[in-house]
Amino acid sequence: MRHPSEGVLRRLVDEPSGVTADDRAHIASCSTCLPALDTARAEARLVGAALATSTTVDTDAAWARFTTSDTATAPAPRPVIAAPGRGRWRPALRRPVVAALSAVVLVAGAGVAAANDWLPIFRTEQVDPVEVSTGDLVALPDLSAYGDVEVLQAPDPVQVADADAARERTGLDVPEVAALPDGVTGNPSYQAAGVVSGTFTFSADKAARAAAADGQALPPVPAGLDGTSLRLQAGPGVAAVWSQPTGVPTLVVARVVAPTVDASGGVDFETVRDYILSLPGVPDALSDQLRDLSKDGGTLPLPVPAALVTTSTADVDGVAATVLTSRNGLFAGVVWVEDGVMTGVAGSLSAEELLSVARGLR
Amino acid sequence: MSRPDVRTDLEQVFRSHYARVVAVAARVLGSRDQAEDVAQEVFLSFGRSTVPAGEAGGWLTVAATHTALNLLRSGRRRTAREEAADDGPSVVPDVADLVVTREERSAVRAALARLPHRQAAALVLRHSGLSYAEVATALELSPGSVGTTVRRAESVLLKELNRHASPE
Repeated sequence: MRHPSEGVLRRLVDEPSGVTADDRAHIASCSTCLPALDTARAEARLVGAALATSTTVDTDAAWARFTTSDTATAPAPRPVIAAPGRGRWRPALRRPVVAALSAVVLVAGAGVAAANDWLPIFRTEQVDPVEVSTGDLVALPDLSAYGDVEVLQAPDPVQVADADAARERTGLDVPEVAALPDGVTGNPSYQAAGVVSGTFTFSADKAARAAAADGQALPPVPAGLDGTSLRLQAGPGVAAVWSQPTGVPTLVVARVVAPTVDASGGVDFETVRDYILSLPGVPDALSDQLRDLSKDGGTLPLPVPAALVTTSTADVDGVAATVLTSRNGLFAGVVWVEDGVMTGVAGSLSAEELLSVARGLR
Repeated sequence: MSRPDVRTDLEQVFRSHYARVVAVAARVLGSRDQAEDVAQEVFLSFGRSTVPAGEAGGWLTVAATHTALNLLRSGRRRTAREEAADDGPSVVPDVADLVVTREERSAVRAALARLPHRQAAALVLRHSGLSYAEVATALELSPGSVGTTVRRAESVLLKELNRHASPE
Protein backbone atom coordinates (compact mmCIF):
# COMPACT_ATOMS: atom_id res chain seq x y z
CA MET A 1 0.00 0.00 0.00
CA ARG A 2 1.38 3.39 -0.96
CA HIS A 3 1.34 6.04 1.74
CA PRO A 4 1.11 9.69 0.70
CA SER A 5 4.43 11.56 1.00
CA GLU A 6 5.38 13.71 3.97
CA GLY A 7 4.83 16.72 1.70
CA VAL A 8 1.20 15.69 1.17
CA LEU A 9 0.75 15.23 4.93
CA ARG A 10 2.20 18.67 5.51
CA ARG A 11 -0.14 20.25 2.99
CA LEU A 12 -3.07 18.53 4.62
CA VAL A 13 -2.22 20.47 7.80
CA ASP A 14 -2.58 23.80 5.98
CA GLU A 15 -4.65 23.26 2.87
CA PRO A 16 -6.83 20.14 2.99
CA SER A 17 -8.47 21.21 -0.24
CA GLY A 18 -5.09 20.95 -1.97
CA VAL A 19 -4.87 17.22 -1.20
CA THR A 20 -6.68 14.73 -3.41
CA ALA A 21 -9.78 12.99 -2.08
CA ASP A 22 -8.06 9.61 -2.44
CA ASP A 23 -5.12 10.72 -0.30
CA ARG A 24 -7.41 12.24 2.30
CA ALA A 25 -9.44 9.03 2.50
CA HIS A 26 -6.31 6.95 2.82
CA ILE A 27 -4.83 9.09 5.57
CA ALA A 28 -8.09 9.16 7.54
CA SER A 29 -8.07 5.40 7.86
CA CYS A 30 -4.35 4.63 7.95
CA SER A 31 -2.67 3.79 11.25
CA THR A 32 0.71 4.84 9.82
CA CYS A 33 -0.36 8.11 8.25
CA LEU A 34 -2.56 9.43 11.04
CA PRO A 35 0.20 9.59 13.66
CA ALA A 36 2.52 11.06 11.01
CA LEU A 37 -0.07 13.73 10.28
CA ASP A 38 -0.32 14.54 14.01
CA THR A 39 3.46 14.85 14.18
CA ALA A 40 3.55 17.12 11.13
CA ARG A 41 0.82 19.31 12.65
CA ALA A 42 2.55 19.55 16.02
CA GLU A 43 5.94 20.31 14.51
CA ALA A 44 4.51 22.97 12.19
CA ARG A 45 2.92 24.63 15.20
CA LEU A 46 6.14 24.53 17.21
CA VAL A 47 8.19 26.02 14.41
CA GLY A 48 5.53 28.66 13.87
CA ALA A 49 5.76 29.55 17.55
CA ALA A 50 9.55 29.68 17.46
CA LEU A 51 9.49 32.04 14.47
CA ALA A 52 6.76 34.29 15.85
CA THR A 53 7.99 37.61 17.16
CA SER A 54 6.03 40.30 18.88
CA THR A 55 5.87 43.19 16.42
CA THR A 56 3.58 45.98 17.39
CA VAL A 57 4.29 48.69 14.86
CA ASP A 58 3.44 52.34 14.60
CA THR A 59 2.44 52.64 10.97
CA ASP A 60 2.04 56.43 11.12
CA ALA A 61 5.56 56.83 12.47
CA ALA A 62 6.87 54.36 9.92
CA TRP A 63 5.21 56.26 7.06
CA ALA A 64 6.64 59.51 8.40
CA ARG A 65 10.11 57.97 8.48
CA PHE A 66 9.62 56.63 4.99
CA THR A 67 8.55 59.92 3.51
CA THR A 68 11.08 62.08 5.32
CA SER A 69 14.11 60.01 4.41
CA ASP A 70 15.81 61.41 1.34
CA THR A 71 15.78 57.97 -0.13
CA ALA A 72 12.04 57.66 -0.11
CA THR A 73 11.14 61.17 -1.14
CA ALA A 74 13.15 60.81 -4.29
CA PRO A 75 10.69 60.30 -7.09
CA ALA A 76 10.75 56.90 -8.69
CA PRO A 77 13.94 57.26 -10.66
CA ARG A 78 13.13 55.07 -13.57
CA PRO A 79 10.64 52.63 -14.96
CA VAL A 80 11.36 49.13 -13.87
CA ILE A 81 11.95 46.67 -16.64
CA ALA A 82 9.82 43.64 -16.00
CA ALA A 83 11.81 40.51 -15.34
CA PRO A 84 11.36 37.84 -17.94
CA GLY A 85 9.49 34.67 -17.21
CA ARG A 86 6.77 33.87 -14.79
CA GLY A 87 8.35 35.07 -11.58
CA ARG A 88 6.55 38.37 -11.42
CA TRP A 89 7.60 38.86 -7.81
CA ARG A 90 11.24 38.51 -8.56
CA PRO A 91 12.47 41.91 -9.78
CA ALA A 92 13.34 43.58 -6.50
CA LEU A 93 14.31 40.35 -4.90
CA ARG A 94 17.44 39.96 -6.89
CA ARG A 95 18.64 43.45 -6.21
CA PRO A 96 20.69 42.69 -3.10
CA VAL A 97 22.23 39.76 -4.88
CA VAL A 98 23.04 41.80 -7.94
CA ALA A 99 24.31 44.67 -5.84
CA ALA A 100 26.57 42.31 -3.97
CA LEU A 101 27.63 40.90 -7.29
CA SER A 102 28.53 44.38 -8.45
CA ALA A 103 31.02 44.69 -5.67
CA VAL A 104 32.44 41.35 -6.69
CA VAL A 105 32.65 42.44 -10.30
CA LEU A 106 34.38 45.64 -9.36
CA VAL A 107 36.72 44.18 -6.82
CA ALA A 108 37.41 40.75 -8.25
CA GLY A 109 37.39 42.12 -11.78
CA ALA A 110 39.93 44.65 -10.72
CA GLY A 111 42.15 41.95 -9.41
CA VAL A 112 42.36 42.74 -5.74
CA ALA A 113 40.81 39.36 -5.00
CA ALA A 114 42.73 36.11 -4.82
CA ALA A 115 45.72 35.84 -7.06
CA ASN A 116 44.56 32.53 -8.44
CA ASP A 117 41.46 34.18 -9.83
CA TRP A 118 40.85 33.62 -13.51
CA LEU A 119 40.84 37.29 -14.36
CA PRO A 120 44.20 38.77 -13.44
CA ILE A 121 46.00 37.00 -16.26
CA PHE A 122 44.94 39.78 -18.58
CA ARG A 123 46.73 43.07 -18.80
CA THR A 124 44.17 45.79 -18.60
CA GLU A 125 44.12 48.63 -21.00
CA GLN A 126 40.46 48.64 -21.81
CA VAL A 127 37.39 46.91 -20.48
CA ASP A 128 35.23 44.65 -22.54
CA PRO A 129 32.38 42.76 -21.01
CA VAL A 130 32.39 39.02 -21.43
CA GLU A 131 28.94 37.63 -21.07
CA VAL A 132 28.77 34.54 -18.94
CA SER A 133 25.85 32.98 -17.15
CA THR A 134 25.89 32.59 -13.40
CA GLY A 135 26.55 28.91 -14.03
CA ASP A 136 29.71 29.83 -15.91
CA LEU A 137 30.80 32.00 -13.03
CA VAL A 138 30.59 29.11 -10.68
CA ALA A 139 32.28 26.84 -13.17
CA LEU A 140 35.23 29.11 -13.92
CA PRO A 141 38.28 26.93 -13.55
CA ASP A 142 40.50 27.42 -10.59
CA LEU A 143 43.95 27.77 -12.10
CA SER A 144 45.42 25.69 -9.30
CA ALA A 145 44.10 22.63 -11.14
CA TYR A 146 46.47 23.41 -14.00
CA GLY A 147 49.57 24.36 -12.16
CA ASP A 148 51.00 25.82 -9.00
CA VAL A 149 49.66 29.07 -7.65
CA GLU A 150 51.73 30.93 -5.16
CA VAL A 151 50.48 34.11 -3.55
CA LEU A 152 53.45 36.40 -3.02
CA GLN A 153 51.63 39.34 -1.57
CA ALA A 154 48.13 39.45 -0.07
CA PRO A 155 45.94 42.52 -0.58
CA ASP A 156 44.70 42.62 3.03
CA PRO A 157 41.55 44.59 2.27
CA VAL A 158 40.46 46.64 5.28
CA GLN A 159 37.89 49.25 6.12
CA VAL A 160 39.52 52.58 6.82
CA ALA A 161 38.22 55.70 8.55
CA ASP A 162 38.11 58.11 5.66
CA ALA A 163 39.37 59.01 2.20
CA ASP A 164 42.63 60.37 3.62
CA ALA A 165 43.35 57.08 5.36
CA ALA A 166 42.55 55.23 2.14
CA ARG A 167 44.99 57.44 0.22
CA GLU A 168 47.68 57.02 2.83
CA ARG A 169 47.36 53.26 2.68
CA THR A 170 47.25 52.90 -1.10
CA GLY A 171 48.57 56.07 -2.69
CA LEU A 172 45.30 56.32 -4.62
CA ASP A 173 42.80 59.15 -4.35
CA VAL A 174 39.26 57.98 -3.72
CA PRO A 175 37.25 59.56 -6.53
CA GLU A 176 35.17 62.37 -5.06
CA VAL A 177 31.50 62.42 -6.01
CA ALA A 178 30.42 65.92 -7.00
CA ALA A 179 26.72 65.42 -6.24
CA LEU A 180 25.12 62.33 -4.77
CA PRO A 181 22.15 61.04 -6.75
CA ASP A 182 18.70 61.26 -5.20
CA GLY A 183 18.21 58.37 -2.85
CA VAL A 184 21.84 58.10 -1.77
CA THR A 185 22.46 59.68 1.59
CA GLY A 186 24.82 59.62 4.53
CA ASN A 187 28.53 59.06 4.68
CA PRO A 188 30.23 56.25 2.83
CA SER A 189 32.43 53.61 4.37
CA TYR A 190 35.88 53.40 2.84
CA GLN A 191 37.67 50.24 1.81
CA ALA A 192 41.33 49.96 0.93
CA ALA A 193 43.28 47.02 -0.41
CA GLY A 194 46.97 46.72 -1.08
CA VAL A 195 48.79 45.09 -3.95
CA VAL A 196 48.09 41.45 -4.62
CA SER A 197 50.66 39.46 -6.51
CA GLY A 198 51.39 35.86 -7.20
CA THR A 199 52.73 33.40 -9.69
CA PHE A 200 51.01 30.73 -11.67
CA THR A 201 53.32 28.03 -12.98
CA PHE A 202 51.74 25.84 -15.61
CA SER A 203 52.07 22.11 -14.97
CA ALA A 204 51.27 19.73 -17.83
CA ASP A 205 51.08 16.92 -15.28
CA LYS A 206 48.43 18.68 -13.18
CA ALA A 207 46.50 19.80 -16.23
CA ALA A 208 46.45 16.21 -17.51
CA ARG A 209 45.06 15.02 -14.17
CA ALA A 210 42.39 17.72 -14.24
CA ALA A 211 41.44 16.75 -17.77
CA ALA A 212 41.29 13.07 -16.84
CA ALA A 213 39.00 13.92 -13.92
CA ASP A 214 36.77 15.60 -16.45
CA GLY A 215 36.90 12.47 -18.60
CA GLN A 216 38.88 14.17 -21.32
CA ALA A 217 42.37 14.04 -22.74
CA LEU A 218 44.67 17.02 -22.37
CA PRO A 219 45.15 18.91 -25.63
CA PRO A 220 48.75 18.71 -26.89
CA VAL A 221 50.93 21.00 -24.78
CA PRO A 222 52.86 23.57 -26.83
CA ALA A 223 56.63 23.22 -26.61
CA GLY A 224 58.13 25.05 -23.66
CA LEU A 225 54.83 25.64 -21.91
CA ASP A 226 55.32 23.14 -19.12
CA GLY A 227 56.88 25.02 -16.23
CA THR A 228 56.18 28.44 -17.71
CA SER A 229 55.27 31.00 -15.09
CA LEU A 230 52.97 34.00 -15.20
CA ARG A 231 53.55 36.69 -12.65
CA LEU A 232 50.31 38.41 -11.77
CA GLN A 233 49.97 41.68 -10.03
CA ALA A 234 47.02 43.95 -9.28
CA GLY A 235 46.10 46.75 -6.96
CA PRO A 236 46.16 48.67 -4.82
CA GLY A 237 42.51 49.66 -4.77
CA VAL A 238 40.15 51.95 -2.90
CA ALA A 239 36.37 52.13 -2.68
CA ALA A 240 33.73 54.32 -1.09
CA VAL A 241 30.50 52.50 -0.33
CA TRP A 242 27.15 54.10 0.53
CA SER A 243 24.68 51.64 2.05
CA GLN A 244 21.15 51.36 3.27
CA PRO A 245 20.64 50.46 6.94
CA THR A 246 20.39 46.79 6.01
CA GLY A 247 23.83 46.90 4.46
CA VAL A 248 22.77 46.70 0.84
CA PRO A 249 25.05 49.04 -1.12
CA THR A 250 23.27 51.84 -2.93
CA LEU A 251 26.38 53.35 -4.48
CA VAL A 252 29.93 52.07 -4.82
CA VAL A 253 32.74 54.17 -6.26
CA ALA A 254 35.98 52.28 -6.69
CA ARG A 255 39.39 52.85 -8.22
CA VAL A 256 42.09 50.24 -8.60
CA VAL A 257 45.38 49.82 -10.38
CA ALA A 258 44.50 47.34 -13.07
CA PRO A 259 46.03 43.87 -13.20
CA THR A 260 49.18 43.14 -15.15
CA VAL A 261 50.86 39.92 -16.14
CA ASP A 262 54.38 38.94 -17.14
CA ALA A 263 55.24 35.62 -18.70
CA SER A 264 58.67 34.11 -18.24
CA GLY A 265 60.24 30.94 -19.53
CA GLY A 266 60.35 31.78 -23.20
CA VAL A 267 56.67 31.38 -24.10
CA ASP A 268 54.68 34.48 -24.92
CA PHE A 269 51.60 35.41 -22.99
CA GLU A 270 49.17 34.81 -25.84
CA THR A 271 50.31 31.20 -26.12
CA VAL A 272 49.71 30.65 -22.44
CA ARG A 273 46.33 32.33 -22.59
CA ASP A 274 45.13 30.47 -25.65
CA TYR A 275 46.24 27.16 -24.28
CA ILE A 276 44.53 27.73 -20.93
CA LEU A 277 41.38 28.70 -22.78
CA SER A 278 41.47 25.44 -24.70
CA LEU A 279 41.58 23.29 -21.59
CA PRO A 280 38.65 21.07 -20.62
CA GLY A 281 36.19 22.75 -18.28
CA VAL A 282 36.13 26.15 -19.93
CA PRO A 283 32.67 26.60 -21.50
CA ASP A 284 32.88 26.81 -25.30
CA ALA A 285 30.94 30.06 -25.53
CA LEU A 286 33.15 31.72 -22.98
CA SER A 287 36.28 30.47 -24.73
CA ASP A 288 35.06 31.94 -27.99
CA GLN A 289 34.39 35.29 -26.37
CA LEU A 290 37.77 35.32 -24.71
CA ARG A 291 39.44 34.48 -28.02
CA ASP A 292 37.80 37.52 -29.56
CA LEU A 293 39.56 39.76 -27.14
CA SER A 294 42.52 41.73 -28.34
CA LYS A 295 45.55 39.64 -29.16
CA ASP A 296 47.89 41.64 -27.01
CA GLY A 297 46.00 40.74 -23.86
CA GLY A 298 45.09 44.37 -23.41
CA THR A 299 41.54 43.73 -22.34
CA LEU A 300 40.08 42.83 -19.01
CA PRO A 301 37.15 40.49 -19.34
CA LEU A 302 34.48 41.16 -16.75
CA PRO A 303 32.39 38.25 -15.56
CA VAL A 304 29.02 39.70 -16.43
CA PRO A 305 26.12 37.36 -15.69
CA ALA A 306 24.23 37.46 -18.99
CA ALA A 307 21.02 36.28 -17.40
CA LEU A 308 20.93 39.35 -15.17
CA VAL A 309 22.77 42.10 -16.96
CA THR A 310 22.79 43.86 -20.32
CA THR A 311 25.76 45.86 -21.52
CA SER A 312 26.34 48.94 -23.61
CA THR A 313 28.98 51.60 -24.00
CA ALA A 314 29.10 55.28 -23.16
CA ASP A 315 31.55 58.13 -23.10
CA VAL A 316 32.95 59.32 -19.77
CA ASP A 317 34.96 62.46 -20.34
CA GLY A 318 36.42 61.16 -23.59
CA VAL A 319 37.08 57.63 -22.36
CA ALA A 320 35.02 54.65 -23.57
CA ALA A 321 33.18 53.13 -20.62
CA THR A 322 31.21 49.93 -20.30
CA VAL A 323 27.72 50.31 -18.90
CA LEU A 324 26.15 47.30 -17.17
CA THR A 325 22.42 47.35 -16.44
CA SER A 326 20.54 44.62 -14.65
CA ARG A 327 17.63 43.31 -16.64
CA ASN A 328 15.28 44.19 -13.80
CA GLY A 329 16.35 47.81 -14.09
CA LEU A 330 17.27 48.11 -10.43
CA PHE A 331 21.02 47.97 -10.66
CA ALA A 332 23.68 49.36 -12.93
CA GLY A 333 27.40 49.89 -13.16
CA VAL A 334 29.82 51.95 -15.25
CA VAL A 335 33.43 50.85 -15.60
CA TRP A 336 36.36 52.32 -17.53
CA VAL A 337 40.13 52.11 -17.63
CA GLU A 338 42.45 55.03 -18.16
CA ASP A 339 46.25 54.92 -17.92
CA GLY A 340 46.18 51.51 -16.29
CA VAL A 341 43.78 52.59 -13.57
CA MET A 342 40.30 51.13 -13.52
CA THR A 343 37.44 53.18 -12.11
CA GLY A 344 33.97 51.84 -11.45
CA VAL A 345 30.71 53.32 -10.27
CA ALA A 346 27.90 50.93 -9.42
CA GLY A 347 24.78 50.69 -7.34
CA SER A 348 21.04 50.35 -7.16
CA LEU A 349 20.57 53.35 -9.43
CA SER A 350 19.85 53.91 -13.08
CA ALA A 351 22.63 53.89 -15.65
CA GLU A 352 21.83 57.54 -16.36
CA GLU A 353 22.35 58.51 -12.74
CA LEU A 354 25.57 56.52 -12.55
CA LEU A 355 26.92 58.08 -15.74
CA SER A 356 26.18 61.45 -14.22
CA VAL A 357 28.14 60.43 -11.10
CA ALA A 358 30.95 59.07 -13.28
CA ARG A 359 31.24 62.25 -15.34
CA GLY A 360 31.22 64.37 -12.20
CA LEU A 361 33.98 62.53 -10.35
CA ARG A 362 36.83 64.72 -9.18
CA MET B 1 16.40 64.98 -16.64
CA SER B 2 12.66 64.69 -16.13
CA ARG B 3 11.42 62.18 -13.64
CA PRO B 4 8.22 60.26 -13.33
CA ASP B 5 6.23 60.89 -10.18
CA VAL B 6 6.17 58.66 -7.14
CA ARG B 7 3.44 56.12 -7.68
CA THR B 8 0.22 57.53 -6.32
CA ASP B 9 -0.90 54.35 -4.59
CA LEU B 10 2.25 54.08 -2.49
CA GLU B 11 0.84 55.48 0.75
CA GLN B 12 -2.24 53.32 0.61
CA VAL B 13 -0.20 50.19 -0.08
CA PHE B 14 2.28 51.15 2.65
CA ARG B 15 -0.44 51.66 5.28
CA SER B 16 -2.28 48.49 4.29
CA HIS B 17 0.71 46.21 4.31
CA TYR B 18 3.38 47.71 6.58
CA ALA B 19 2.56 45.71 9.72
CA ARG B 20 2.43 42.48 7.78
CA VAL B 21 5.73 43.14 6.02
CA VAL B 22 7.43 43.87 9.35
CA ALA B 23 6.00 40.66 10.78
CA VAL B 24 7.38 38.66 7.85
CA ALA B 25 10.86 40.12 8.26
CA ALA B 26 10.71 39.70 12.03
CA ARG B 27 9.89 36.03 11.57
CA VAL B 28 13.30 35.72 9.92
CA LEU B 29 15.31 38.15 12.00
CA GLY B 30 13.68 37.97 15.42
CA SER B 31 14.23 41.70 15.85
CA ARG B 32 11.55 44.31 15.27
CA ASP B 33 14.03 47.10 14.64
CA GLN B 34 15.82 45.22 11.92
CA ALA B 35 12.52 44.05 10.50
CA GLU B 36 11.41 47.68 10.19
CA ASP B 37 14.64 48.52 8.34
CA VAL B 38 13.93 45.68 5.93
CA ALA B 39 10.33 46.88 5.50
CA GLN B 40 11.50 50.40 4.63
CA GLU B 41 13.83 48.99 2.01
CA VAL B 42 11.19 46.70 0.57
CA PHE B 43 8.66 49.53 0.25
CA LEU B 44 11.33 51.63 -1.40
CA SER B 45 11.77 48.91 -4.02
CA PHE B 46 8.02 48.64 -4.37
CA GLY B 47 7.78 52.39 -4.90
CA ARG B 48 10.18 52.07 -7.79
CA SER B 49 8.37 49.12 -9.30
CA THR B 50 5.37 48.78 -11.52
CA VAL B 51 3.88 45.91 -9.54
CA PRO B 52 0.08 46.32 -9.61
CA ALA B 53 -1.34 47.33 -6.22
CA GLY B 54 -3.54 44.26 -6.32
CA GLU B 55 -0.45 42.06 -6.26
CA ALA B 56 1.38 44.11 -3.67
CA GLY B 57 0.67 41.80 -0.73
CA GLY B 58 2.32 38.76 -2.23
CA TRP B 59 5.14 40.76 -3.81
CA LEU B 60 5.99 42.52 -0.56
CA THR B 61 5.88 39.30 1.43
CA VAL B 62 8.27 37.61 -0.94
CA ALA B 63 10.55 40.64 -1.13
CA ALA B 64 10.65 40.95 2.67
CA THR B 65 11.44 37.26 3.04
CA HIS B 66 14.37 37.33 0.62
CA THR B 67 15.75 40.62 1.92
CA ALA B 68 15.53 39.47 5.54
CA LEU B 69 17.10 36.10 4.76
CA ASN B 70 19.95 37.84 2.94
CA LEU B 71 20.46 40.07 5.95
CA LEU B 72 20.32 37.10 8.32
CA ARG B 73 23.02 35.34 6.32
CA SER B 74 25.19 38.37 5.79
CA GLY B 75 26.33 38.42 9.39
CA ARG B 76 25.44 42.09 9.58
CA ARG B 77 22.68 41.54 12.07
CA ARG B 78 23.37 42.54 15.61
CA THR B 79 24.64 40.02 18.10
CA ALA B 80 22.20 37.92 20.08
CA ARG B 81 23.21 39.85 23.17
CA GLU B 82 22.17 43.15 21.64
CA GLU B 83 18.88 41.69 20.48
CA ALA B 84 18.13 40.26 23.89
CA ALA B 85 18.49 43.69 25.38
CA ASP B 86 15.63 45.18 23.43
CA ASP B 87 13.36 42.26 22.79
CA GLY B 88 10.26 41.72 24.83
CA PRO B 89 9.24 38.70 26.87
CA SER B 90 9.99 35.35 25.41
CA VAL B 91 6.45 34.04 25.66
CA VAL B 92 5.01 33.86 22.19
CA PRO B 93 1.96 36.08 22.44
CA ASP B 94 -0.30 34.46 19.91
CA VAL B 95 0.32 30.90 21.01
CA ALA B 96 -0.37 31.14 24.68
CA ASP B 97 0.33 27.56 25.59
CA LEU B 98 3.72 27.45 23.92
CA VAL B 99 6.69 29.00 25.59
CA VAL B 100 9.78 29.23 23.45
CA THR B 101 12.83 30.49 25.24
CA ARG B 102 15.01 33.22 23.85
CA GLU B 103 17.84 30.73 23.46
CA GLU B 104 15.63 28.40 21.48
CA ARG B 105 14.48 31.18 19.19
CA SER B 106 18.05 32.23 18.64
CA ALA B 107 19.05 28.66 17.81
CA VAL B 108 16.18 28.35 15.37
CA ARG B 109 17.32 31.48 13.53
CA ALA B 110 20.89 30.23 13.39
CA ALA B 111 19.53 27.05 11.82
CA LEU B 112 17.40 29.13 9.44
CA ALA B 113 20.51 30.97 8.28
CA ARG B 114 22.18 27.65 7.46
CA LEU B 115 19.29 26.24 5.43
CA PRO B 116 19.48 26.42 1.63
CA HIS B 117 17.96 29.79 0.67
CA ARG B 118 14.98 28.40 -1.18
CA GLN B 119 14.11 25.97 1.62
CA ALA B 120 14.29 28.74 4.20
CA ALA B 121 12.24 31.04 2.00
CA ALA B 122 9.56 28.40 1.47
CA LEU B 123 9.29 27.91 5.21
CA VAL B 124 9.00 31.61 5.97
CA LEU B 125 6.54 32.28 3.16
CA ARG B 126 4.32 29.42 4.25
CA HIS B 127 4.37 30.57 7.87
CA SER B 128 3.61 34.08 6.63
CA GLY B 129 0.37 32.87 5.14
CA LEU B 130 1.13 32.41 1.45
CA SER B 131 -0.71 29.53 -0.17
CA TYR B 132 1.18 26.55 -1.52
CA ALA B 133 0.48 27.73 -5.06
CA GLU B 134 1.84 31.20 -4.26
CA VAL B 135 4.97 29.78 -2.64
CA ALA B 136 5.49 27.57 -5.68
CA THR B 137 5.19 30.56 -8.04
CA ALA B 138 7.41 32.83 -6.00
CA LEU B 139 10.22 30.30 -5.65
CA GLU B 140 9.77 28.54 -8.98
CA LEU B 141 9.08 25.26 -7.24
CA SER B 142 6.67 22.66 -8.51
CA PRO B 143 3.46 22.97 -6.49
CA GLY B 144 3.76 19.36 -5.37
CA SER B 145 7.18 19.91 -3.81
CA VAL B 146 6.29 22.84 -1.57
CA GLY B 147 4.96 20.62 1.23
CA THR B 148 8.07 18.46 1.17
CA THR B 149 10.35 21.49 1.15
CA VAL B 150 8.55 23.12 4.07
CA ARG B 151 8.42 19.86 6.04
CA ARG B 152 12.17 19.28 5.65
CA ALA B 153 12.94 22.80 6.78
CA GLU B 154 10.71 22.33 9.81
CA SER B 155 12.46 19.08 10.69
CA VAL B 156 15.85 20.79 10.67
CA LEU B 157 14.57 23.62 12.86
CA LEU B 158 12.87 21.18 15.20
CA LYS B 159 16.16 19.36 15.73
CA GLU B 160 17.69 22.65 16.82
CA LEU B 161 14.76 23.34 19.12
CA ASN B 162 15.08 19.93 20.73
CA ARG B 163 18.80 20.35 21.17
CA HIS B 164 18.22 23.59 23.08
CA ALA B 165 15.05 22.44 24.85
CA SER B 166 14.61 23.41 28.48
CA PRO B 167 15.65 20.61 30.89
CA GLU B 168 12.26 20.50 32.52
